[in-house]
Amino acid sequence: MGFRFLTLIRPFMAVIPEVAAPDRKVAFNQRVLWTVITLLIFLVLSQVPLYGIMSSDSSDPLYWMRVILASNRGTLMEFGITPIITSGMIMQLLAGAQIISVDQSLREDRALFSGAQKLFAMLITFGSATVAVMTGQYGDPKSLGAGICLLLIIQLFVAGVIVILLDEMLQKGYGLGSGINLFIATNICEDIVWKSLSPLTVNNGKGPEFEGAIISFFHLLFVRSNKFKAVYEALTRSTLPNLTNLVATALVFAVVIYLQGFRVEIPIKSARFRGHRASFPIKLFYTSSMPIMLQSALASNVFMISQLLYRRFPDNLLIKLFGVWEPYQGSSQFFPTSGLAYYMTPPRSFVNTLKDPIHFMLYVAYMLTACALLSRTWLDVSGSGPRDVARELRDQQMVIAGYRDTSMYKELKRIIPTAATVGGVIIGILSISADLLGAIGSGTGILLAVTIIYTYFETFAKEQTELGGVGVAGM
Amino acid sequence: MLIVLYYRARRGGSSASGRGGASGSGGRQVSRAMGSTSTMMRLYTDDAPGLKVDPVVVLVLSLVFIASVFLLHIYGKLTSTKG
Repeated sequence: MGFRFLTLIRPFMAVIPEVAAPDRKVAFNQRVLWTVITLLIFLVLSQVPLYGIMSSDSSDPLYWMRVILASNRGTLMEFGITPIITSGMIMQLLAGAQIISVDQSLREDRALFSGAQKLFAMLITFGSATVAVMTGQYGDPKSLGAGICLLLIIQLFVAGVIVILLDEMLQKGYGLGSGINLFIATNICEDIVWKSLSPLTVNNGKGPEFEGAIISFFHLLFVRSNKFKAVYEALTRSTLPNLTNLVATALVFAVVIYLQGFRVEIPIKSARFRGHRASFPIKLFYTSSMPIMLQSALASNVFMISQLLYRRFPDNLLIKLFGVWEPYQGSSQFFPTSGLAYYMTPPRSFVNTLKDPIHFMLYVAYMLTACALLSRTWLDVSGSGPRDVARELRDQQMVIAGYRDTSMYKELKRIIPTAATVGGVIIGILSISADLLGAIGSGTGILLAVTIIYTYFETFAKEQTELGGVGVAGM
Repeated sequence: MLIVLYYRARRGGSSASGRGGASGSGGRQVSRAMGSTSTMMRLYTDDAPGLKVDPVVVLVLSLVFIASVFLLHIYGKLTSTKG
């Protein structure tokens, strides 16, 4: 083949900004600093509203995706990490299908390929910004005027480029972990902190009330004369986040962290050196929060398509079976009220499960099966299945104590898929119970946040032991 | 389901780039040792293409951007109250 797609990218490489790789390994303290700074920038970006918006009240088609995309409506982080993910996905797909030929062993090809990914991500940001503005997501483009429209597009585009660069910076070794994980966790934690401490007041007819659950608790204690009633109200108010939600969130956090410690330790020994022993831990959450992430990605795609179809053809029977969407109690956000999509959404509250037990049963069945299956599939997809682990151990000249080299695979095949399946089911159960208890942020969100934070914690602990216990104490 | 592919890609990609970085420093040393014979090759190393940006520049850029959006908001407030 004389023509290669990647050669087309080369002229653009000069204009694609790229973060310079550090010339030596960055010190741990400095990496923490970079991570914190990135985090702060992201927080500010996801709070500053876009300049020039008239309204963003229409139903949000991406509502179900926002959690895993770390985006916030109407702010500079309108797209969150969507462009990075989309472009990465499409390019890998094209490369995998041999439509673009990439030789991963050539440095030039690798550089061009990552450049192409970035260029594509920037194009996607620009494209979706233009589409969002022109379709009137922020108000009618005619009444906004050309100047404001242009400003909106520029704001969205620059914010997108900044997110791409921040992610690259963290990935190239200036920070800890990947930008994407950091942004997702930040977004969810921010939501939790905001809902517990928000100083905004809302008036629901009974005098001003604070939005934040903790602040409102103390406010009610001081204001109301009947203290028992005040506590009761702080615990159960339904329209705003209440203390029960907060307690539920903390509970889910604790349970997940407790369960993270569950593992099977397989004793392994070196085949070369006699007496060199170690253990290979297989966690109960072997696939971490991946099943829930995949499940919510799957569900949100279904929701998006169903919502789109229902709006276009509201009378078609098949599409009604797929999902019927109606705005929920005064808000303009659409929620499914029957059809397949309805049975894929969590019940709104504990009372609703009693009202519609069939929905609840079907939802639980769907969640558990989906989580278990996705967890199993993830083993093969991510290359962490028993065969891969066996090969890895063999490469390191390690064998499981008491087993022959050849039967190692069989033993691993007994443990790993079981751990993955059970872990998936437990993650599913946790997510459902978090939703039922009304934990702040969705069940999916909390699980993602906890597992990501736990990974960070492990990194800290590891670095600390490597540094001889100086690292974290210094922060 | 596309997201699965993406995350697999992400993993593969990051490990590949990690390896690239490690072999990259080695490669640079070799080319330095070999001197002029490898000047042709230098065009296509990781260092050649692209607009290199220092992470500090990224930070400054984002801060400037945030500041300018703030200014826009303030400007918008001022003009709307006047008019």
